[in-house]
Amino acid sequence: MARCMRYPVSAARAICSLALLLCVIHVVAGCPAIAAEPKFPPLTGRVVDDAALLSAPVRERITGWLAEFERASKRQLVVVTVNDLQGYPIEDFGYRLGRAWGIGEKDKNTGAILLVAPKERAVRIEAGYGLEGELTDAISRAIIDQNILPAFKQGNYEQGIVNGTAAILKVLGWNGATPGAMIAAPGGKQELSPLSLLIFIILFFVFRFGRHGIFTGRRGHGVWGARSRGGFSGRGGSFGGGGASGRW
Amino acid sequence: MNRIAFPRASRILLALFFVVGLSACDINAVPRYDEDTKAAWSEVLNQYQRRADLVPNLVETVAGYARQEKETLTAVVEARSKATQMQLPPDILNNPEAFKQFQQNQAALGGALARLLLVVEKYPDLKSNQNFLALQSQLEGTENRISVARRDYILSVQKYNTELRTIPGRWVAGVLYPDAGVKQTFDIAEQAKEAPKVKF
Repeated sequence: MARCMRYPVSAARAICSLALLLCVIHVVAGCPAIAAEPKFPPLTGRVVDDAALLSAPVRERITGWLAEFERASKRQLVVVTVNDLQGYPIEDFGYRLGRAWGIGEKDKNTGAILLVAPKERAVRIEAGYGLEGELTDAISRAIIDQNILPAFKQGNYEQGIVNGTAAILKVLGWNGATPGAMIAAPGGKQELSPLSLLIFIILFFVFRFGRHGIFTGRRGHGVWGARSRGGFSGRGGSFGGGGASGRW
Repeated sequence: MNRIAFPRASRILLALFFVVGLSACDINAVPRYDEDTKAAWSEVLNQYQRRADLVPNLVETVAGYARQEKETLTAVVEARSKATQMQLPPDILNNPEAFKQFQQNQAALGGALARLLLVVEKYPDLKSNQNFLALQSQLEGTENRISVARRDYILSVQKYNTELRTIPGRWVAGVLYPDAGVKQTFDIAEQAKEAPKVKF
């Protein structure tokens, strides 16, 4: 009697375990690896200067603008220079970078990226879904043509990036950025006297610690303290290819 | 007493296995991925529509400067009307012929537009016209959005089709969603042909 009953039960159990095992394997394996993604630099701050086009004070200055801008509008703009587009067109690289980093508010997708690739001589303004209505293709193109490329063509990347960032911020409704004042004339950016260099360094540290304090106070996360660039991360925004590109 | 209690415990265990097994199988994966592909497809249609909406304005602007390029302009207008007038059957995603037809029509419009932008090279006045520059950047941006939307669609269909054709999703779909069928997707080669880069 008992043997009769036990046999089908354990058989069913064996089948069930097998099914369960298959399911677990399925879940663990997840979806198959799909199309290859380029390798992106880590998001170390609001300005990710991988191609080393910006001097420390300028980088700090732009970072300050971008932080103020986010505080005022909750939107995120990130300035990125890359060494290499890894063979991808800049249009392709740009939106994937934006998605990988999740720039902009989640669901609202209010992020934008200014991407500069000096090796490929390409620049792109990438507008998140939520900013496509303001930072339109035509306006992005105009900013690239009028504010960025003239300086780039003279080899003055710093000026072009500062002008472009200020113009984008203005289009997005933030008027706090005033380009030009701090930047020397084209060609003069390398020649810093020791005194001004010292002042820059002092300002740099004052500025940085000041903002760092605000950041840790506001967010209150231990993680931010470990990062040297003042703690910044994307908030889940997405991109769909809006914006414009230029070449020089 | 003991002999009766044991099978009962086994049965409870069995039911538990089923519940856990089913939840691990994710019985909602098929409809969820199905909705994802539909959303991705809507975005593809949306961006193609956006391109079609730009065409009349673009044609008018170009015609103002380059009326003699009648052939190229007519080709664009015809490709546009062919692409916009196509009646999309509701089952287009599961219908290979209709899907192919849709893809061909859109590729034809993309090609005609690319030729128009090449012709424009000969007209410096037009190339410096502000209205044209704005339209051109919108068209470039739209082509770019189309390729992003197409790629998103391709990835979502890949996910959906994989779920449908692999175990355990295949079993789940066989029992719970017998109507679910493998969906059509774009071939990348066509995409590369469709949007040649025009440099100015």
